[in-house]
Amino acid sequence: MTLSHRTWATATCYALIFPTLAMLVVFVFTPVLWAFSKSLFEFEIGADALFVGVDNYTEYLGRDPTFFPSISNMLFLTTFAVFIQLTLPLIVAKLIYVLPQERWRYVYRLIFLIPTLVPGVAVMLIWQGMIYSDRGMLNEFLRGIGLASWATGWLANPRTALYAVAMIGMPFVGGFQVLIYYAGLSAIPDSVNEAAAIEGCTGLRKFFLIDVPMVLSQLKLILILTIIGGVQSFENLLILTEGGPGFKTMVPGLWMYYNAFSFQRMGYACAIGVVLFSVVLGLTLLNIKYFRSTEELQETT
Amino acid sequence: MSPGRICKFVSLIFVLGIFAWLLRPPSDEEMERDANLSLQTSLKASDTKYVIKFAPGIFYMPDSTPYDLGKPLQGLKGVVREFERRFPDTQIEILTVPGRREYLVTQLSSGQAPDIINVNVEDVWIDVQKGWYIPLDTFLESPNPFVLEKGDPDLPGATQWWDMFKYQAISRGKAAPDNKNYCLTFDLIETGIFYNKDIFREVGITEPTDWEDFIHILQKIQAAGYTPLLMNIWSFNDWCKDLFFDQLYYGILPGIDLYKDPIREEYLQGYLDWDELAFLYEKGFFNAEDPRYVEIWRQMRRLKEYTNDDLVSTDLTREFVTQRAAMLWMHSMMTWRLVADRQLGFDWGVFYLPRFTQETSPYASGEDMCVIGGSATQIEVTNSAVSDTNVEWTLEERMARSRRLERVIQFLQFLCLPEQYEKVVNEYAALIPNIVGVTPREEIEPFRIILEGRYTTTKWVFTFDLRFSDIQQRALSLYLTGGSDLDEFLSWQVGNLDYAVSNLLKRKSVDRDQLEKAWRELAAIRSQARDLPSTVLEGDQNL
Repeated sequence: MTLSHRTWATATCYALIFPTLAMLVVFVFTPVLWAFSKSLFEFEIGADALFVGVDNYTEYLGRDPTFFPSISNMLFLTTFAVFIQLTLPLIVAKLIYVLPQERWRYVYRLIFLIPTLVPGVAVMLIWQGMIYSDRGMLNEFLRGIGLASWATGWLANPRTALYAVAMIGMPFVGGFQVLIYYAGLSAIPDSVNEAAAIEGCTGLRKFFLIDVPMVLSQLKLILILTIIGGVQSFENLLILTEGGPGFKTMVPGLWMYYNAFSFQRMGYACAIGVVLFSVVLGLTLLNIKYFRSTEELQETT
Repeated sequence: MSPGRICKFVSLIFVLGIFAWLLRPPSDEEMERDANLSLQTSLKASDTKYVIKFAPGIFYMPDSTPYDLGKPLQGLKGVVREFERRFPDTQIEILTVPGRREYLVTQLSSGQAPDIINVNVEDVWIDVQKGWYIPLDTFLESPNPFVLEKGDPDLPGATQWWDMFKYQAISRGKAAPDNKNYCLTFDLIETGIFYNKDIFREVGITEPTDWEDFIHILQKIQAAGYTPLLMNIWSFNDWCKDLFFDQLYYGILPGIDLYKDPIREEYLQGYLDWDELAFLYEKGFFNAEDPRYVEIWRQMRRLKEYTNDDLVSTDLTREFVTQRAAMLWMHSMMTWRLVADRQLGFDWGVFYLPRFTQETSPYASGEDMCVIGGSATQIEVTNSAVSDTNVEWTLEERMARSRRLERVIQFLQFLCLPEQYEKVVNEYAALIPNIVGVTPREEIEPFRIILEGRYTTTKWVFTFDLRFSDIQQRALSLYLTGGSDLDEFLSWQVGNLDYAVSNLLKRKSVDRDQLEKAWRELAAIRSQARDLPSTVLEGDQNL
């Protein structure tokens, strides 16, 4: 009876998980495998595919003029994002956490969460039109304080475009990250905080010696998500600069998009996608191997 | 009972009351009315055999208001109503579709695109071998039945639908490289320099007579504190390149025009097609050793000194109407923006770009600037129009047997009748009519005059693939804004051309023997030209 019940329970679990698994296979794994196979073809929508072996890869890695600039831009933007996402939201979360009254902690959490309700495209258009445009707030401010010569097309100037793109989202305290860090800080046992207070470990010293090690799991999560986002995402650049001026803000993901849908080189785009997949996989594996979370550290010690 | 509970109780009754009202049985009158409506709808549905989807693009979209000035457009809607009255089994749905190529490609590949679309035909050429578009030659070479109905055999269109089109050179010049015509040039557009006459008077200048004069007035305007000329990167990459190329190469065109197109040559004398440009590139033109080619970019950089700094995101219209800038290089659509703006506080005019002189460049041909505009609304019929036939059949067979396609073509022929056409194209002053018997509105007369000029030697942006145009624009954008120097730019450009040419030759069959033969025959003419690339000269000596 017990065995039968267990079997029944197991079968139910598998039956429940099956639809999700089936959809994952059909809609995620199959397209990925399809992309792998199509990366070996010269292939455009509506035309016959021609097998070209690894030509798409050798062209992208060896002869594509965008390869080095776009990889370099991607590394810059991702590194910048990683640095920002691992520091500022954590500081803000800590500042909220140390507020004495729960009511104010709640109000601040809410304030930092509200901007996440604005659609990303709208945020990009606001930065593009209201802040960075020729008659935008930034240039008008510079003109207003007598620095008219500094006014420029921030997204169109080859010298400023990449930095202008990187600065979008300032002051970089998105609600999602703040909440994750806040949850991590809240999970620190009271006994640890009390022990630290008794030992005189307060202020910055406590932050670096107690709080940061205790939120390593959260830091690891944000790090992985930021790296994946940095390597894969291109939609913001498509909206803001289309990768220009020249290739100053081009990233591999955007070049993949252009090749697939504008230039109709689907096979080539698949090859770029496979390269990006490999990069993300490699970085994630490195991250998992060398960046220890709080739990892993505790297990080790 | 506390006030809070009373409030909740009242709210509940209110909500229940609304639900009860919504669920009430209909009255006899309402039932009768609904039945009539349903009957009408089903009658209409049973009558409608063809639902033709038409995406006319931005220019004539019913109920849209160009530049948010004037009344919403109604012209096309009126024509559609008249057609539907004549053909009660047909319903024309006018759609707005995204202008992006990504949308079209996915729709066309799945056979879901509108039956009639408006796309730059050069984008169509890339895909003609896929059977996505219907060649229109047989229809254009046949009479327009609606003209025949009028009973006058001398009317344009009574012999061939083709004859109804006013600008034959441009319209027929839109034939694809496979010599088939997939496009109806519905109307025309041309570019010109819009200028602020008040600023011109203030600075003490008049319309320029040649390029050096133009540069001189640009300098004077700049010195007066205005932005002299408003342009964007697209106009540099497309219009400017073609104009400058024509100015600098026209003098040697007899020595490099290799291919006489059997159909288009009559209309586009000396036009350099993609295979000619690819062949000329392989022979040594269009690289850092070709002084004319280098000169194109040098002149562009010279012009950039007098334009807006930001070539990508500057709002050109706003800069011009707020009188921060004296001139704007734009197409004739801008006319409506200025004509319809009752609060525009200045007098304006239009002139065309003047020719290069020997002072500008030793390679200047001295010819007037050519025409680079042409077809604006380019109407194509897609594979959706033959969706009533078996997909296993050949396109020719499907075309011959499709009744739906017949109705689609009838609609286009009806649209081309002068009395119908005028309602659409002349509803506002923006584009130049392309149907015989329909005169343009007075406000765009300057553009009609410009269009009388000689057509461009080539259209670079539409010659190679989209990747080529994209990379060229990016590299040019960097060069013009100081992000790279001329050598670096040329290196990008040559690499880009190298790839585009090899890709083109790989994908399309080129009759090299014919081109080589023509090349040899023209060697004598080339020997008269000066400053040809050294590779070309050496090659000619070995012939």
